[in-house]
Amino acid sequence: MKLILKFIKPYRKLMVFVLLVMVLDVAGGLLIPTITADIINYGIGGGSLDYILRQGLFMIAVSLLTSFGALAGSYLSASLSAKLGRDIRNALYDKSLTFSSSDMEKFGTGSMITRTLNDVNVVQQSVIMVIQMILPVPVVCVMGIVMAFHIDLMMGWILSGVTLAILIMALCVIKKAAPLFRRLQRFLDRMNIVIRENITGVRVIRAFNKEPFEEKRMSGVFGNYREVSVKVNRLFAGLESTALLVINLIIVGILYVGGNRTGAGFMKIGDIIALSEYAILIMFYLIMAQMVMVMLPRALVCIGRIQEVLDLEPEIKDGGATVPMIAGGTDVIRFENVSFCFSDADENTLSELSFICKRGQTTAIIGSTGSGKSTIAKLILRFHDVSQGSIKLNDMDIGNMKQSQLREHISYVPQKAWLFSGTIAHNLEFGNKDASGEEMQHILSVAQSEFVTELPDGLTAHVAQGGTNFSGGQKQRLSIARALMKKADLYVFDDSFSALDFKTDAALRKALKKQTRDSAVLIIAQRISTIMNADQIIVLENGRIAGMGTHQSLMKQCPVYQDIAKSQMKGEEVRG
Amino acid sequence: MADFEMKEGAQNDIDNEFFGVAAPDDAKNTIKRLWKSVNDQHKRLGIVLVSVVFYTFLSVVAPLYSAYIVDLMWGKIKEAFANDMLFSITWVDGGSDIFFLLLIYLLTGFFYFLQSFLMASFAENLSFRLRNEISSKLNRLPLSYFDRNKPGAILSRMTNDLDKMSEAFQTGILKLFTTLGMIIGSLVMMFRFNILLTVVFLLFMAISLLVTRAVSAKTLKSALKRQECVSEVTAMVEENFSGRMIIKAFNQEENSSRRMHKATEDLAEASQKADFMINAINPGIRFINRLGQIAIAVLGGNMLLNGTMSIGVFQAFFQYVNQSAEPLTELAFMVNSMQSSLASLERVYSLLDEEEISSGPVSPETIERAEGYVDFSHVRFGYTPEKTLMQDVSFSAKPGEKIAIVGSTGAGKTTLINLLMRFYELNSGQILLDGKDIQTLTHANLRKNFGMVLQDTWLFEGTIAENIAYGKPDATREEIVAAAKAARVDFFVHTMPHGYDTVLSNDGENLSIGQRQLLTIARVFLCNPAVLILDEATSSVDTRTEIEIGKAMGKLMKKRTSFVIAHRLSTIVDADLILLMQNGNIIEQGSHSTLLQAGGAYAELYNSQFA
Repeated sequence: MKLILKFIKPYRKLMVFVLLVMVLDVAGGLLIPTITADIINYGIGGGSLDYILRQGLFMIAVSLLTSFGALAGSYLSASLSAKLGRDIRNALYDKSLTFSSSDMEKFGTGSMITRTLNDVNVVQQSVIMVIQMILPVPVVCVMGIVMAFHIDLMMGWILSGVTLAILIMALCVIKKAAPLFRRLQRFLDRMNIVIRENITGVRVIRAFNKEPFEEKRMSGVFGNYREVSVKVNRLFAGLESTALLVINLIIVGILYVGGNRTGAGFMKIGDIIALSEYAILIMFYLIMAQMVMVMLPRALVCIGRIQEVLDLEPEIKDGGATVPMIAGGTDVIRFENVSFCFSDADENTLSELSFICKRGQTTAIIGSTGSGKSTIAKLILRFHDVSQGSIKLNDMDIGNMKQSQLREHISYVPQKAWLFSGTIAHNLEFGNKDASGEEMQHILSVAQSEFVTELPDGLTAHVAQGGTNFSGGQKQRLSIARALMKKADLYVFDDSFSALDFKTDAALRKALKKQTRDSAVLIIAQRISTIMNADQIIVLENGRIAGMGTHQSLMKQCPVYQDIAKSQMKGEEVRG
Repeated sequence: MADFEMKEGAQNDIDNEFFGVAAPDDAKNTIKRLWKSVNDQHKRLGIVLVSVVFYTFLSVVAPLYSAYIVDLMWGKIKEAFANDMLFSITWVDGGSDIFFLLLIYLLTGFFYFLQSFLMASFAENLSFRLRNEISSKLNRLPLSYFDRNKPGAILSRMTNDLDKMSEAFQTGILKLFTTLGMIIGSLVMMFRFNILLTVVFLLFMAISLLVTRAVSAKTLKSALKRQECVSEVTAMVEENFSGRMIIKAFNQEENSSRRMHKATEDLAEASQKADFMINAINPGIRFINRLGQIAIAVLGGNMLLNGTMSIGVFQAFFQYVNQSAEPLTELAFMVNSMQSSLASLERVYSLLDEEEISSGPVSPETIERAEGYVDFSHVRFGYTPEKTLMQDVSFSAKPGEKIAIVGSTGAGKTTLINLLMRFYELNSGQILLDGKDIQTLTHANLRKNFGMVLQDTWLFEGTIAENIAYGKPDATREEIVAAAKAARVDFFVHTMPHGYDTVLSNDGENLSIGQRQLLTIARVFLCNPAVLILDEATSSVDTRTEIEIGKAMGKLMKKRTSFVIAHRLSTIVDADLILLMQNGNIIEQGSHSTLLQAGGAYAELYNSQFA
């Protein structure tokens, strides 16, 4: 709720206008039956046609005013909800940009997408519904009752009593419905997941002969969903029936009391119609409000999920270093006793790493799947923060810098080659937004991406989201090119050569050597051939350094490295 | 990526709704089948129908009766006033009539409750039944069906389509019937009371229908525009979340934030317009309806003045106007939603009508535990009838042999495995397991003998332990841990928050591809099958771990036939038989050394990887 109030605050004036036009709408709705009753009273009391016509014109005027109110209300609430949606989405997205990888993992990418799109949508719709269905309720109740009192004191009291009774009943139903709706939503999500698993896992399910098991599992989920759905439906059926019954009982009651009061001369017979209409109008708004209220728990869940994202304190904060960094030293990156452990995990992912990446040199990291290689790259870029020890860029602790300042000096090729939709040039501009066509061509040739020039559109060739219209090897080369566009002190290649064939791999590394002469290079790889010529190779095993040195020295001293080499080379050709 | 596919499916569904009203191709047939699908609920429907008839009749009669009461009372009141007396209701003077009206209303309420309560479970029962039918159908569909259809589309059949159907049927059928009855009944009554006023009423109704139609064309347009903007924002959010590491690494946060704000701004503008159009139609219609009511009130008031109409009739007429004005404007909408839910149902039925795999031989043979003889003899196969992929494939594997299948992407390596598992049926030729044609076995018996690890890993929402024990649900924790150790997953499982009880959600998105592959290998280790199939099972695992696993596997699979598809030739040089495939056919087969000596395509491939 706090969230909504916070986001509505800038639009307070708009809110007031919405409320004003709403009152107009409601007042009109109540005036029409009042005038109708008047016509009846005069009609049977022997008034003049003139009077009836005048009243008719009056009614048209009231209708116009009412409709204007309703229209303006629709317009303003649509505007309010649109702005609200925009503001929340922007806030969510901007917040997500401050998140580290583990911050993001707390929610999961899929869930973050849902929160930014669907959840905000639900909130928007709920705001519209609340404005149109719930806010008018007190206005209708008060105005209706006041007008009833105006007609007849006793009728006023009766209508107040009835309204109060229905209000209490509505609140009871809402209280009962809220947890039911939460369960319904949970079962719906669960059903989606299980069905999806069955579709995507069809081969595995059949390979393991698990068809009967899966059928039973699905049926169980369907059964749960049905059970709660039926309960919800019954609740609504009960609600609707009661509402209908109550309306009709009120009509009978008004007829009875109205007959008596008219007979006693306290009111006119036509007022019975007006009173019935008031009662129906009040009931109508109350029931609608109730339906909306029943749906609101779902919106509250969404609000909660949005709030969760906005409230999360980003794990990684900018440092406030005041001393300017002196670039150009030989030690570009220095790891000093660095350990890293995911929160909640029992064991360190990385333990006590110390090494230096020197300018003009290539450092390579090799190790098994899950040995923590990629985590090293993420620590350097501060996608995670070290648990112990420190990492220094140009002799300055990266924890003390602004993240943007740190990343200015580093260029990164991620493990999963990902291109943005747009053109190739658009992707290359990520590295250097003022780059000329020649520069791009040059870098493309370094990255062995001459295939771009052969495309009909060259640099302006279309790239689909994720780069799916290029092969794995092409994507990798383009994402390498993107990184090379940027002048940096350190180039990090996280397993970025895996999809390249041996020849391209070799050619690319050769061209790279020249291009990155004045910088430090860090290559994370699985293939020995990729890193064999590195100035320094770090062998990682279960998050610890198992050996460090050149290919030759490691082949002599490091058993882990020897194992890796053996697994990849023809035994007789392993060079010592 | 898989996650986005689902969203795409859902998105398409939304689009359909916006881009036009879905209509069933063969409504008659669909309704017939629907009638069959609810054969367990026919009695319930019968009661509902009777209740609807009573309810509608009573609802039409009630205003008539109250008109009578008002006239009666007014007559008595006038009489009393004329005699300078007061009037009060007694049992004889109106009281009994009011009581009778009360009874009518109570009955109306009762019937309404009866029918809506009975219908509350009707549609959900139907959905439940159809969902179960689909779920067992899914297990009988050939795999080619899953190749042809996106997961999102199938998912949508089981969720969106059925939900739409149940929403429409649950309240829709009732509303449609009662509304129709009410409109007809009310119009008959109104015509009986006063033809002129009824004509005036119908005139205004016609105007509002015309206006609705004109506006809804515009509404559709603005809704489309909004949908475009929604797609734009959706695509951008998905893309930027997936590529956020790059955005951050290249310091592009501001840039990307600016682009996002622009997109949300466009969306805000479009949805403000669309929402207004949608919301504005109601007040508009209400205005027209009110003008009609005013005209009726003025004309009726005049008639009251002339004495050509009684006050009771005047009041009753208004009640009928109220009862039929809104249903009339809603009728078109109701028919539309019924139609589109029939279309949904039709899609569900067409899924249920898809061709199924053969149910297997009448008197199947059984192989309790295969020794491991596998023979392909003159196998011919194509995924589609027009295109034959595999012309003539033959080879034999003896128990305990390791068969490696190599070749470039699309050469037909996975196809070979698919055929062995009988995921697809042959065009001609035979596959034998222990000398028995696999067609003579049941699917279940055949697959029991195989353990398979696929290139594309599949994990379900459950704990790591549950995922490993998928093929052997009664496995003890010790067995699970042993399998995990053999597959080299024990270490990283311990780095996870709750170890083996960590719940994997979102398709195991917190695991790397390599880790997921290892988990699925552990799953097969636990099953201990007679024949092992590894389809690029370690493609994302590093070579050293791969070899360690290979060793563990070697121990476990001693004397068992295994099929291995691998990219990296280093892992298969020790295979007993290497099959080199190209364009669906085996072009070379033999051991590593013989193939290398032959100096053919295999030798070339091998040298290119290790040059």
